[in-house]
Amino acid sequence: MASTLSDLEKKIVQALVGTIKRATTRAPLELKNSLKKAVKEEESDLAIEQLKLMLENFEYGEEKEIPTCQDTGVLNFFVTLGNEFPLISNFRDIIHSAVRTATQLIPLRGNSVDPITNENPEDNLGINVPPIYLSISENSSNLKITVLPKGGGAENISKLFMLNPSNGLEVFQEEILKVIKEAGGMPCPPVILGIGIGGDATTCMKLAKEALLRPLNQRHLRKDLARIELELLEKINNLSIGVMGLGGKVTCLDVHIEVAMRHPASFPVGLIVQCYAHRWASFEMNEKGEIINET
Amino acid sequence: MKHELNLPIMDKDVEKLKIGDIVYLNGVLITARDQVHKRIVDYIKEGKALPDTFKELEGSAIYHCGPIIKESGGKYQVISGGPTTSQRMDALENQVVQALGVKIVIGKGGMKNLNTTRNKVAYLSYTGGCGAIINKKIEDIINVEWKDLGICEAVWFLKVKDFGPLIVSQDTSGNSLYE
Repeated sequence: MASTLSDLEKKIVQALVGTIKRATTRAPLELKNSLKKAVKEEESDLAIEQLKLMLENFEYGEEKEIPTCQDTGVLNFFVTLGNEFPLISNFRDIIHSAVRTATQLIPLRGNSVDPITNENPEDNLGINVPPIYLSISENSSNLKITVLPKGGGAENISKLFMLNPSNGLEVFQEEILKVIKEAGGMPCPPVILGIGIGGDATTCMKLAKEALLRPLNQRHLRKDLARIELELLEKINNLSIGVMGLGGKVTCLDVHIEVAMRHPASFPVGLIVQCYAHRWASFEMNEKGEIINET
Repeated sequence: MKHELNLPIMDKDVEKLKIGDIVYLNGVLITARDQVHKRIVDYIKEGKALPDTFKELEGSAIYHCGPIIKESGGKYQVISGGPTTSQRMDALENQVVQALGVKIVIGKGGMKNLNTTRNKVAYLSYTGGCGAIINKKIEDIINVEWKDLGICEAVWFLKVKDFGPLIVSQDTSGNSLYE
C-alpha cells in the first residue's frame, strides 16, 4: 500500500511541475482573445503598440517555454480534494517538492524573502509559503489542483475595506475607483479585479482571490451581482488610465465578484488586483493517478 | 519620433528625447531595484565608496528590473527580464541618479518625484510583463555586483542591443505622459 501511495505522490509532483510550467509560460486563450479585442477597440497608438507587444511576448514565451513575465509571482495552490481520493495527507510536502523542482527546471525567480532578515533562499519556499487553499469535494475520488502565480506589482494595489453597513453597498465602488485611479500604471493595466463582498476580513479577501479563477467575460450567476460587475467595469474603463497607465480606453479587462453573508455590524470588501498577464493552470487526476483534465 | 542611442550618452542627447518618442538602446546598462536603491543611499549617507564598476555608468541607464537568471558553468544568462514598478524607488531615485550620473531611468508606471529637468535624465517606460521577449535584446551579462542582495535584487550589468521599444514618458523639459 505504501509503495502505491508513494507512486501516486510522485505522479502528483510530476503533474504539479507541469502545471506550474504551463501557468508561468503560457497565457490562457480567453486572455489573448481579450487583448486582441482591446487592440481593435483602442484608439491610442501607444496603447495599441503595447497590446501588440504583450501578445507577441506571450507567443515568444510559449514558443521558447520560458516565463512570459520575469515576476513568476507567489505560487498560489488551490487544492480540491475528493473525499474518496486515496491520499489525504502529505500535500504540503508534495507541493514543496514540486515548487523546488519547478523553480530549478523552468526556471522561476526566487520570490520568497524573509521579511525581517531579507534573506532569499531562491527556491520559493520558506516560512508559510507557498499559500495552499484546501477544499474537500464530496462524493468524488478525484484531485484537482489549480496554480495561480500572483505577481507583486498588482498584488501591491490589493486592499481591504471595512465599510459601514448603512452605506457600504453605495460607496464601495467609489472606494475601489479611488484605489485604481491612484495606482495608475503600477499594477500593469489592463487589470482584472477580484472582489469579495461580505464575510469577515479574511473571508472577503479569499473570495476576491478565488474570483480571479473564474474565466474572463463570464458573469456571476446572480443577476444583481452580474449587473454590479458590468457597472464597475465600465466605470473603471472610463478612468482612461489605459494600457500601462499611458492613457486610452481599455484599463480593465474584467471584474469578478463573489459574496458571503456578513456580520450585522460589518460590510467588508476585499479587492485583489491582477495584472493583464493573468495566467493560471490546473490539472485533475483520478484515484489511479491518471490525468483526466488539464488546462 | 524614433531614436537609436548608443550608451553612454550626453546631456545634449537626452535633451532631444520628447514624451511620446520611441527609443532603442545599445550598450551597457544595469538593473537596480528596491534594495540597490536603499544600499546606494545608505552608502552615500555613511560616506562609503560605491563599487569601482559603478564609475562606468556615467551617461548610461538604470533599469528597474528583477530578472530571472540562469547560471550554468559560471556563466549567467537572462531568461526573462521585464520592468518592475518604478514608484517604489521614487523617494530615492534623485539621489541615485546623481550618484551614478546616469541619463536614463527605465521602468514602468512612472515616477512622481523624479526631477528630470534638474538631473537632465529621461524616464523611459518599457511595457510591463514583456519579460520573455526582451531576452532577445540582451546580448550578455558582463558583470554583477551586490549579489548578496539576492538574484532578483542584485546589480546585473547587461550588454544590450536594440533594447526596446522604450517609450519616453517623462522628458528633461518636465513633461510627463502620466499626467
